Amino acid sequence: MLLFPSRMRSAFLVLAVLATLGAQESDMAERLFRSGERAYAAKSYPEALETWGQLLQQAPTSGFAAQALLRMANHQLEQEHKPEAALPLLERVKTEHMKTPWAADAMLLRGQILATQARKPQDLRDAVGEFNRVVDLFPDHPALQTARYHLGLAAKLQGQWARALQHFTDAIRLDPTSPVAPKAQFQAAEVLDVMGDLSGCLRLLQSLRNQFPQSPEASEAAWRIAQRVKFRIQKPPLRSEGPWPQGKTKWLKTPTLLSTNANGEIVIYQDDLDQAFVLRGTELTAIGPVCKSAKALALLPDGTPCLLSAKTGISTAANLPPIPVAGLSNPSGLFQDAWQNFWVSDAKAAALSVVEPTGTLRSLPSPATSAMAALPNGGAVVASDANRSLLFLDASAQPRLTVPYGKDLPAPFKYVVALSADPTGHVVALVDGDFEGVVLWGPNGSLLRFATFKELGLNGKFRAVTLDRQGGIILADRSNDLLIRLN
Amino acid sequence: MFRCRFILPLLFVLAAASWNLSAQDPALKETFQQAKVLWGTQGDREGASAKFEQILSALEPKGKTLEGEWLQMLCETYNWLAVLDDRTPAKKARAPKDLEALLELNPDFEVDRNLTSARLLAHFEALRTSKLVRVKLVLEPEGGTLTLDGKPRPKGTQLKYLSPGSHRIAYAKAGFQPIEQQVDLALKETKSLELKLVRNSSTITLHTSPAGVEILLDGKSLGKTSGQAAPEARPLAEKAEVSLEQLAGPFVISDLAAGSHILELRAPCFRTRRIDLDATYATPFQDHLLEAYRLEPSRGALTVNTTSPGGELFLNGTSQGPIPVKDLQVCSGTYDLQVRFPAGGFSQRVEIPEGQAATVLARPKARMVFLGLEGTDEFAGRDRLQRFLETLGERLKTLAFTVIAPGEDTQTTLARLKASKEAELTLLARPVPGKPIHEVELVVSTLQGEEDHSVVKPLEQDPLEALADRLNRIPLLSQPWGGLNLLDLPGEAGPWVLQADELALRAGVKTGKAITQVNGKPVANTAAFRQALVEAPGDRITLSQGDAPLQLTLTQQALEIPLNASNLCYPSLLAELRLRYLAAKGDEAGLLRLNQALALMHFRMFDRAMEVLRDARVVGSQGVSQGTLDYYTGICLLRLGNVYVPEAIQAFNQALKYPQATLFGPEGPLVAPLARQALDDLKP
Repeated sequence: MLLFPSRMRSAFLVLAVLATLGAQESDMAERLFRSGERAYAAKSYPEALETWGQLLQQAPTSGFAAQALLRMANHQLEQEHKPEAALPLLERVKTEHMKTPWAADAMLLRGQILATQARKPQDLRDAVGEFNRVVDLFPDHPALQTARYHLGLAAKLQGQWARALQHFTDAIRLDPTSPVAPKAQFQAAEVLDVMGDLSGCLRLLQSLRNQFPQSPEASEAAWRIAQRVKFRIQKPPLRSEGPWPQGKTKWLKTPTLLSTNANGEIVIYQDDLDQAFVLRGTELTAIGPVCKSAKALALLPDGTPCLLSAKTGISTAANLPPIPVAGLSNPSGLFQDAWQNFWVSDAKAAALSVVEPTGTLRSLPSPATSAMAALPNGGAVVASDANRSLLFLDASAQPRLTVPYGKDLPAPFKYVVALSADPTGHVVALVDGDFEGVVLWGPNGSLLRFATFKELGLNGKFRAVTLDRQGGIILADRSNDLLIRLN
Repeated sequence: MFRCRFILPLLFVLAAASWNLSAQDPALKETFQQAKVLWGTQGDREGASAKFEQILSALEPKGKTLEGEWLQMLCETYNWLAVLDDRTPAKKARAPKDLEALLELNPDFEVDRNLTSARLLAHFEALRTSKLVRVKLVLEPEGGTLTLDGKPRPKGTQLKYLSPGSHRIAYAKAGFQPIEQQVDLALKETKSLELKLVRNSSTITLHTSPAGVEILLDGKSLGKTSGQAAPEARPLAEKAEVSLEQLAGPFVISDLAAGSHILELRAPCFRTRRIDLDATYATPFQDHLLEAYRLEPSRGALTVNTTSPGGELFLNGTSQGPIPVKDLQVCSGTYDLQVRFPAGGFSQRVEIPEGQAATVLARPKARMVFLGLEGTDEFAGRDRLQRFLETLGERLKTLAFTVIAPGEDTQTTLARLKASKEAELTLLARPVPGKPIHEVELVVSTLQGEEDHSVVKPLEQDPLEALADRLNRIPLLSQPWGGLNLLDLPGEAGPWVLQADELALRAGVKTGKAITQVNGKPVANTAAFRQALVEAPGDRITLSQGDAPLQLTLTQQALEIPLNASNLCYPSLLAELRLRYLAAKGDEAGLLRLNQALALMHFRMFDRAMEVLRDARVVGSQGVSQGTLDYYTGICLLRLGNVYVPEAIQAFNQALKYPQATLFGPEGPLVAPLARQALDDLKP
């Protein structure tokens, strides 16, 4: 059954268009389209593209022509990985088949490609325009919900939290049975947390788990709920579980950098081996480029580690040359933002360097930073030993929050040795000075948990820290070549 | 079981007279009596003759169709008239004609020898001998049914004379092989006939009280008991402790096959009796008379509640008056219960067990009329689709479904429905133009014009499956709520209390602690907790957080309907919401209005949504509540254009007054930040 509940106006427009064609031409168009589909299903891509091309020549105004253009655009995107080649095809659907429902699909896909290609907030304008056109011109189209969702993502990327929330709630409201619904609900919950509504965030995440228990977002919600509750509400005193994985001692070669990937796996840079490794169970697997004396580790969205060293710059892949970063003397932090820019901090430079995908380097005003970690708001948290404060920066590197070193602690610390943050905005640091130990802050800079190494019964040379997905804090002890887990 | 077994020398008389005469019957009988008295005691020959003439003129036209008492009366009247006419010189010539008519009416009639003169008697006999043939009939066994020329003779009457010529005579009796003979009769001879039946099965005879009881043998219905028992059955009546008048006439079961059998006696409003007949009833062949069975009354009580006003209750099509009704005494059994409301209807098959009470909550269902499959263009699967459409009602749980009246066209039906408000929804099937036609558009519409369109292929496996699913799906409009926001956390024994409202806190709920039991049963997670709330009887639950159990009061928290769910049919949903609203009060009414507005927003009828929202008020301020209403009012006003911006600003500001109001449900996001953003967007 073809279902167009109250969406038949658009479908009738198509029928009207079809009616204007001769029945013969319409029949031919359909047969060419189906023939192309069969060829495409059999992975005979050139044959499929040729057949659809023929259709475009013989019946350019047919509704099947619009569908063929969409199929061709998808092919460019998914098989050829050439989004630029897809754009003109989608543009053609927009201009030549505006009155058909396929124009909505074309606009949506075009918007998604443009959003992916955006390298700065202003670049999102065209994408947002396409999404808005879907919303305004096709209010009954199934693509509406996805368009709303992407409008929410675009607003979120620009730090427009309330607007993002508005779009996400609009998306949720439309059709709870669609796969977009759990995604929108997840994003809405995360935005609520950024906006300071922790309980609202937790309620929505739990509701997501109840409504869509089998969705990937539900499992993501599960650990995020647990993390937030443990860190921000329960706040149990930190205690050491000892070497981790349990019983593993002297098994690493000078671990100096740590991170946690999207799957919750720990990534460890071993200085003696000049490479990062991903820990799966108790097994280590080398991953990413080789880089000598790396001082910072960042994970790309696909989990690939990037390494930063003073000598070579940013190493992103084994088969690619490193990206040079001019003027780097004592690198202390690295991450890639939503626009695919690398943010680089240097303990001896009174600025942050931003390396754009084009290789262009620009500076952002900042005090010298001893450590840096990415925040879920698109910005970063940086530690300035010189100023004795943590700075929570937004996506445009503007300080949003300043937390003096030692605030609310029994004793102040002087140095931040390592800094890490998780996707829920918790920030953990290894600190040194009068207070030597581990400190955990919330996304709003409030002190959540802390303990000195002495209190934890730890003795070692801890140089890296990360937060796992089970509410633990992982420390790397470079002198004893092991990891310690705090709970 | 009391069993009375003996061979019957004579079966009871089965004949039950059926008269065709009407209301004047008593008067005619009275006239007959008066006529006899006039002559017998007063000697008023003329007066008597006049009265008998009256009877003659009333009965003669019916002639041979008369039976029993009336036939006898007409025969006697001829007899009396013959005697009276014979004594009146002016009428003397008429006397033989009276006798002739009498003979024609009943050849076996015996004239009254006390009344009739010897001369007249001799004339009568001579007449009979000249016209009829004397027959000597031997019937064995007695008590059977004699049929003459295909017409059964009344029981107890004798056959002595027949007209000359050919006749078919049949004799039958339950339990015996029937006989049929053809006889040729000639005048002036006496014919002897022997009709002896051969036994071929046992018979069972039984009586019931009351009459009208259905008799089933091994589950197969044999008929119903009827009439009234003959005086011979008095002992049976006494044994059954009923009067003779309460006992039905005998019901005879013949052709009883060998082996044991089960006899069932069923009657509405009475308890069914089950009688086991062992093999001795069937063989050897015998006539068995069972006891008289008195069926015990079987009744139950029916309570029909409703929250909608103006409903009238019908049981099996008979009005029982307005609802609600409490403990209405009715016969036990199965009923087609129907409640007709001013808008919407309700029907349900209900079983009322004996001595028990059945309770039905009648909530009006929206009514849908199928307007037909448009056009006359033939296409493959047209008839098949038509059948699917016409029987769609069998698959609908939430709608009452009817088909357009035969001969009525769509427009007339629509006009009629709008005028009479006999339905809330229509369904129209419209072939999509094409060569060949291979798609049909289905349009579900409210009478107010909100439409849902879907397209089906007539030859697909089940073209109406998706539509039926959508029509049957009504989203939840509320959920039981204990004032707790719960989380599933690893390592916790049950759902962990994130937040508790004032009532729950007052009841003793502790935040930051897991709930371990609900109503005495362990509860593992939030899903189990929600389920426990749904299943909880009443509006209270007992829960435990590992220490002393505490009582929590449940409320119903409103839920929003989705705006564009592909699995819903919005016209039928809207009709359902409108019906529910008619019966709703207070916050429930306000929240139904909110969902009506959302359904109208689905159709982008923002002006009508506004009208609905304008009338809605909710006292509650938490969850989906007044703040939610105000927020959607603002949204609708914005969609109506810039001219309504000031009103929209007012609505969003109003929404900000309810900081605990949420969207979607009690666990949804707060309205306030969204209202604030909307206000920011409206700033110049």
